[in-house]
Amino acid sequence: MGIIIRTKHTQPFIPQPDDSMIICRCEEITKGEIRKAVYDGMRTINEVKRYLRAGMGLCQGQTCQRLVLGIIASESQISAGELGHITGRMPVRPATMDYIGKSTEHSEGVERYESK
Amino acid sequence: MKANDKSADVIIIGGGIMGCSTAYRLAKEGVSVLVLEAKEIGNGGSSRNAGGVRQSARDIRELPLAMYAVSNIWPTLSEELDIDVEYVQNGNLRLGKTEAHVTALTNLVKKSTSVGLDVRMITGNEAREICPYMSDEVLGASWCPSDGHANPLHTTLGFYKKALEYGATFATGIQVFGLQKVKGRVRQVVTDDGIYEAQHILLCAGHASRAIANTVGIDIPVERETSEVFVTEQMKPMFGQMLGTSDADFYGHQSAHGSFVLGGMGGLEKFTSNYYGDETHNVTLPKLSRGVIKYFPDLANVKIIRSWAGQYDVCADGVPVIDNVSEVPGLTIAFGFCGHGFGIAPAVSIALCELIMKGKSETIDISKLNYDRFAAKG
Amino acid sequence: MKRYEVIIVGAGPSGLSAAIEAAQSGLQVVVFDENGRPGGQLFKQIHKFFGSKEHQAKIRGVRIGENLLAQAKELGVKVILNATVLGIYKNKEVSVLIEKEVQNYKADAVIIATGAAENMIPFEGWTLPGVMGAGAAQTMMNIQGVRPGSKILMVGSGNVGLVVSYQLMQAGCKVEAIIDAAPRIGGYGVHASKVARTGVPFYTSYTVLEAKGNATDGSVSSAVIAKVDERFKPIPGTQIELDVDTICIAVGLSPMSQLADNAGCEMTFAPTKGGNVPVLTQDGETSIKGIFCAGDVGGIEEASSAMIQGKIAATAIAQELGYIDHDTFEEKKSIYADSLLKLRAGMFAPGSKGKVIDKTDEGYTISKSILTHGYLAESELSDFPALDTSGGEHIVIECTQNIPCDPCQSACPQGCIIVGDNITLLPKLSKEKKCTGCGLCVGVCSGQAIFLVNDSYADGYGTVGLPYEFLPYPKAGTIGKALDRSGREICDATVVEVRANKVMDKTAMLVMKVPLAQIGSARFFQPIGLESLEGVS
Repeated sequence: MGIIIRTKHTQPFIPQPDDSMIICRCEEITKGEIRKAVYDGMRTINEVKRYLRAGMGLCQGQTCQRLVLGIIASESQISAGELGHITGRMPVRPATMDYIGKSTEHSEGVERYESK
Repeated sequence: MKANDKSADVIIIGGGIMGCSTAYRLAKEGVSVLVLEAKEIGNGGSSRNAGGVRQSARDIRELPLAMYAVSNIWPTLSEELDIDVEYVQNGNLRLGKTEAHVTALTNLVKKSTSVGLDVRMITGNEAREICPYMSDEVLGASWCPSDGHANPLHTTLGFYKKALEYGATFATGIQVFGLQKVKGRVRQVVTDDGIYEAQHILLCAGHASRAIANTVGIDIPVERETSEVFVTEQMKPMFGQMLGTSDADFYGHQSAHGSFVLGGMGGLEKFTSNYYGDETHNVTLPKLSRGVIKYFPDLANVKIIRSWAGQYDVCADGVPVIDNVSEVPGLTIAFGFCGHGFGIAPAVSIALCELIMKGKSETIDISKLNYDRFAAKG
Repeated sequence: MKRYEVIIVGAGPSGLSAAIEAAQSGLQVVVFDENGRPGGQLFKQIHKFFGSKEHQAKIRGVRIGENLLAQAKELGVKVILNATVLGIYKNKEVSVLIEKEVQNYKADAVIIATGAAENMIPFEGWTLPGVMGAGAAQTMMNIQGVRPGSKILMVGSGNVGLVVSYQLMQAGCKVEAIIDAAPRIGGYGVHASKVARTGVPFYTSYTVLEAKGNATDGSVSSAVIAKVDERFKPIPGTQIELDVDTICIAVGLSPMSQLADNAGCEMTFAPTKGGNVPVLTQDGETSIKGIFCAGDVGGIEEASSAMIQGKIAATAIAQELGYIDHDTFEEKKSIYADSLLKLRAGMFAPGSKGKVIDKTDEGYTISKSILTHGYLAESELSDFPALDTSGGEHIVIECTQNIPCDPCQSACPQGCIIVGDNITLLPKLSKEKKCTGCGLCVGVCSGQAIFLVNDSYADGYGTVGLPYEFLPYPKAGTIGKALDRSGREICDATVVEVRANKVMDKTAMLVMKVPLAQIGSARFFQPIGLESLEGVS
């Protein structure tokens, strides 16, 4: 990501006819909400994600990341490659606390630590 | 500020919640503010914490900030920022499973009540009445009914949005290397984008602050410590309290969205080779999961969606430094928040605003958070 | 902690190839795949692959998958299915969910071969039932044996859109249109042509505006498309409403690179590779020593190159762990690199993405008709080298773009067809050798671009032998219509014979009798009274 200068918007927010279109299906975030987030000052994919939850759902942005990036890019006039990406996070597929907690192999140090 | 203008009355280094909220307050007062951020707005601890808005179990030196924020700012912050910060004031339970835990909690409670905080010890059964999902293993808890939690992402970005509206400028993607004095005052910020200049500089860049302060001869004893937080799938509303445990098994809450946001440490992070990365550690998430299940068996089948790591900036004596640096005129610093800065941030920014504009904090007592308090023992 | 020398994530073409290569070198290897069956996307690829013999050209993807599995089994490669890798750590530790618990494994090297996921485009109604990825539709019909719908709009004319359109027709669906927002068809001309000649219209510079849902269950009942200007904005008044019940989206793939990101590998945004990809060395190694990526996860290509990338990564690991010496490594690597280079040549190469190419490598003008309508204009064909104008029985090769493919060359027992070593060059006809009319090349050509034409069949009549993959094969004597390259009915036609043998692997040569004047135009046979076509698989 390069330098992004953020200042107060000078024009009013202009609604568009397709603003109600869903972009992030997991969290049901619309195109209009994403455009408004950019208008409010959000610039990177992670800022928009944190502001709206777009890309925070079960698929972790696998479907909508591209679309959200496209909307931010066109609203902010910053190229999509400069807007960052949704970080791949453990677990990359949802898994229950039970399954994860039952992690059968700990490194030896941890067992020592936990049995203190 | 024009895009190529590299000066402002005040430059704030660090676009986290401290920087954003102080920029908001200063800009609202008509001060020209420029915030320099290395990555994105709220990239550090501000977006990575578990959202506690807590007064209980705090060091009494920073308790005035917490109590001020809870009494005067948090309840109306959503209206003030025009964004739902999801502030919920349903109390904080700090849980103990052993007699030793209960003793430790009791001591914490004594300290807090001595300065007027409404916090008390309750039994395991009383705790289960407040939060029915809790396991029978809980023997006792500290209970602070005026504590709560909020959404750190919305709060940080809400302050940022409002700061923009009041005319503050933010420049992200700029790496600050250090500070430079001109004629006795700190004046310049040296960056990978050249020199930026201001009358006053506020340094609040989390764990990155120490090295920057070092460039004008100030060394505050802070070090990084990795903690992790995970978030689950959306669940029906189960409990509204902020939770913690005496043994630091985990901390966190259920968010307005329905997901649980829970965090903690594995204990080994410090000793592993990737300690300073932002990667999560292999043992932490399983350990936290087991910890949560012990206290809340019903959460065993809740799916974890993602986890992340963040860096505490841990100060040697457990509370932050929030002060004007008298020996470097023009420099104000605020870091070393030790992983509990989020809840007090809206009050910290009031103190910072006053430190910058009036030379001292008048509204809130931060006198014990002075920068020159550190001395070797003995 | 349990430990393997190599852990491979993903049992698709790349992962399996890597596992085979690693096992052949003596490495102890395990493959995890989150799916219940191995093979990745290979088992739904019922079409014949391109490339050269070394790339398993002219073999259907599904058979390549079977071969890979058999080879892996023979070598004792451990493939653990329903094993979902949740995270990979810098120290090459892998957390994998197997059954009901997460197990952690260490490895000396990890190969991430997780492939890609389909892109979507948003439009009004895109979340309605009936809108799906083209790959999802392909899974439904080719794996689960379910027709995704009956009347289809395909959005996207890249190879996926074209290949899946053809397979949808083979499954008995009607493809109402293939649209693309770009002014040109994105996939191979030969793929477009085999769809176009069945009568599927192409709309280039068109986008989908809306999926309308029906009143009963809200599923798709029609699609509104519109022409777009050069900035991809819809032009008012150009809307067309299409009667479809299914909209398939084939607008590219995005690498599933989250595990590499999670491990802390350096990432980069590369639009030509499909999005966020790890930065890789030539061997496929990420910025973290010992963590490799192979296949689409490192940049979207296709299965053939993914398989080679898997082998290269495994070879590099074999050297690193001392199973092969440096010279052996260099030798193998150069063979694989050459093989990869062959696939990455031509006008559809990854490096040519987004470029407008007007001339073939040989200097022929690229057919404009094929780029906009999906079929060759007859007038354009005469410019190309494989047009035999001699009398009698002869072949016409309608292969006019530089794509990496050469099975036709070895298919002809007489040696009539010449491609040469550079497999992206267009096939030429030998001046010395004479076609015997065997038709093998017609069945072998993965692009279904070769026709056997006889202008002296009977008085006033000729025959056209065309590649045919719809079941049941019509019997000799079946009467129908001959369609031209655009799918337009041009004359009556009668099936003379349907020739198929093992080499042709279910691509039959259907020979139809047409009036002599039409042998240059007639390129498909439509039996009268047949409601839908059913394909081979």
